[in-house]
Amino acid sequence: MSHGRVLVIDDEYGIRTGIRDILELEGFLVEAVETGREALAAVDSQEFDVILIDFRLPDIDGITLLQAIQSRKLNVATCMITAYANIETAIAATREGIDMFLPKPFSPDDLVGVVNNLFKQRTIREQAERLRLAHEASLLALASEQSQTHSLVESLRDAVMVVNRDGKVALVNCAMTLLLKITETDLLLKPAAEILNQGAFIPLAKALSDRTAEGRSVFDIEIENHQYMVSVTPFYSANHEALGHILTISDISEVRRMAMEKSRFIRTMVHELRSPLGAIKSVLEVLEDRSLGNEVTPYTNLLERAHMRLNGLVELIGALLSLSQIETQGRTGANVSPIPIDPVVQEIAELYREQLKVAEIDLTITVEPNLQGVINVEDLKTILTNLIGNAIKYNRPGGAASLRVNRSGDVIIFEVADTGLGIKAENVPRIFDDFFREKRPETREIIGNGLGLAIVKRLVERYSGQIEATSTEGLGSTFTFSLPSGRSICSAG
Amino acid sequence: MSKNKKILFIDDDVDFLQAQSTFLTGRGYVVLTAASADEAMKVLAANTPDFIFLDLMMENYDSGFRLSHKIRSDERFQKTPLVMLSGVAATAGRRFDQEQESLKNWCQLDGFIDKPVSGKQLLDLIEKRTSTS
Repeated sequence: MSHGRVLVIDDEYGIRTGIRDILELEGFLVEAVETGREALAAVDSQEFDVILIDFRLPDIDGITLLQAIQSRKLNVATCMITAYANIETAIAATREGIDMFLPKPFSPDDLVGVVNNLFKQRTIREQAERLRLAHEASLLALASEQSQTHSLVESLRDAVMVVNRDGKVALVNCAMTLLLKITETDLLLKPAAEILNQGAFIPLAKALSDRTAEGRSVFDIEIENHQYMVSVTPFYSANHEALGHILTISDISEVRRMAMEKSRFIRTMVHELRSPLGAIKSVLEVLEDRSLGNEVTPYTNLLERAHMRLNGLVELIGALLSLSQIETQGRTGANVSPIPIDPVVQEIAELYREQLKVAEIDLTITVEPNLQGVINVEDLKTILTNLIGNAIKYNRPGGAASLRVNRSGDVIIFEVADTGLGIKAENVPRIFDDFFREKRPETREIIGNGLGLAIVKRLVERYSGQIEATSTEGLGSTFTFSLPSGRSICSAG
Repeated sequence: MSKNKKILFIDDDVDFLQAQSTFLTGRGYVVLTAASADEAMKVLAANTPDFIFLDLMMENYDSGFRLSHKIRSDERFQKTPLVMLSGVAATAGRRFDQEQESLKNWCQLDGFIDKPVSGKQLLDLIEKRTSTS
């Protein structure tokens, strides 16, 4: 054990050095001074574990010195050495927090005993202080963990209620108070089953009171046209003692809506797959049954249509694949480099050259020179093929179609116009919907799947562009879309 | 047996319509076709078919129901066999099945069959219905 440091204050040279010699023999580090002033200077410059004070000093009286030492709030044990022990000074010294008295004269053993005692006291006091600080720190940590948990629960979008073993509400978060329309103070420590025994919440009250249900129960409820998923989960202490239940209510309206949309999409898709299959099957039956005799020629038209419908099916499957790809890819970031527009446009025009001739449609292309667009080449081709394809498909012999590309500020504007069949005013807003096709006598024989424009819109929006359609039934349609311009990206970077 | 029997086929899929019409004509029936509810009403104004097939989803998802209700409201067609074809009956699932009975009553349908159908299936239906009446 390492011995402590001792400060001895005594004006008598003999006693001062005597004490020092004895204590040093015991292994203490001793500083011995003559006056109060020297003592304070020592206290301010060094650390001591024990201070021995003679109460008769030439400059300051013992009580004043003791006060001055105590006011420094040092962790030090003090002892009064005096030959004139009287009750008044003893009381005054005790009041100032003196730890011990050592009356003169004293034997070396007395001295060593007292100093050892003081040193032990001081060590114990130090340990106690260390423990107190550690305890305080752990209390603080606990409190902050609690408050963290609380604010975490509070900020959850899901409504949360914790019910204790007695069935009383122990904790609710903001979302729960809003859902129940009851304030937190009106909820805390109230019987949960009673509170929940109203309207849409009755199943929750039942789930809580159903003591036979050991595990977690999950079910749906509806509150004010919103779908919610409820989960009632029992919770246990570390030694498997039941502590109560946690109720969570999550709004799943959006998930439901998306699921409904998906299933509607699939239903329509099945219809769109079945129709051409039905038509093709019927044509095969006609052939099998020799409905038009044994010659091949009368069947030519039916077979041609069957072939077209098959191609339509293949296209539909391609479109479904594109849609699912677009959906999984999401919005495209800045990693797309600008591409020159003109070559892509010319390539598409070339692709349609033959079809334009057959359909007797005149396609005019006007592209402002040196335009760059931020888009993947294949995506731009898909967009243009769909729009120009439609401009030809929904047109009449002798009709016209045009593609104009211009820059306008930070964006490139594409305009695909035709003098074709047009769209009924009431159907224009639905034209980009999945599978939407306008059913009119003129469009009956045109093969399409209603996904082309849906894909175009998704692609344009992927690049933060916009698309809109204007149309006059019988006169034609115009599709205008924007894409970020490559130039502005370059100048910005 | 099929001599002079008139069949009206209503479906907005013109290829299906043409193929079915060719098939039934090959079997000796007179087939009238209509690719929309409006066209069907026009055909019915001038003709009295012995059997009517109609598609459920045409202009709208319930065009077939409305049309069948309209047909039944005409005295001339209250006894005419009326069979609905649909590509969605099965996929719409149980709910649709449950509704089918009440819909059948409202539209007074004689049958409800899922697409795709075969010409032979239709022939069977026609022969059964028209021979007993």
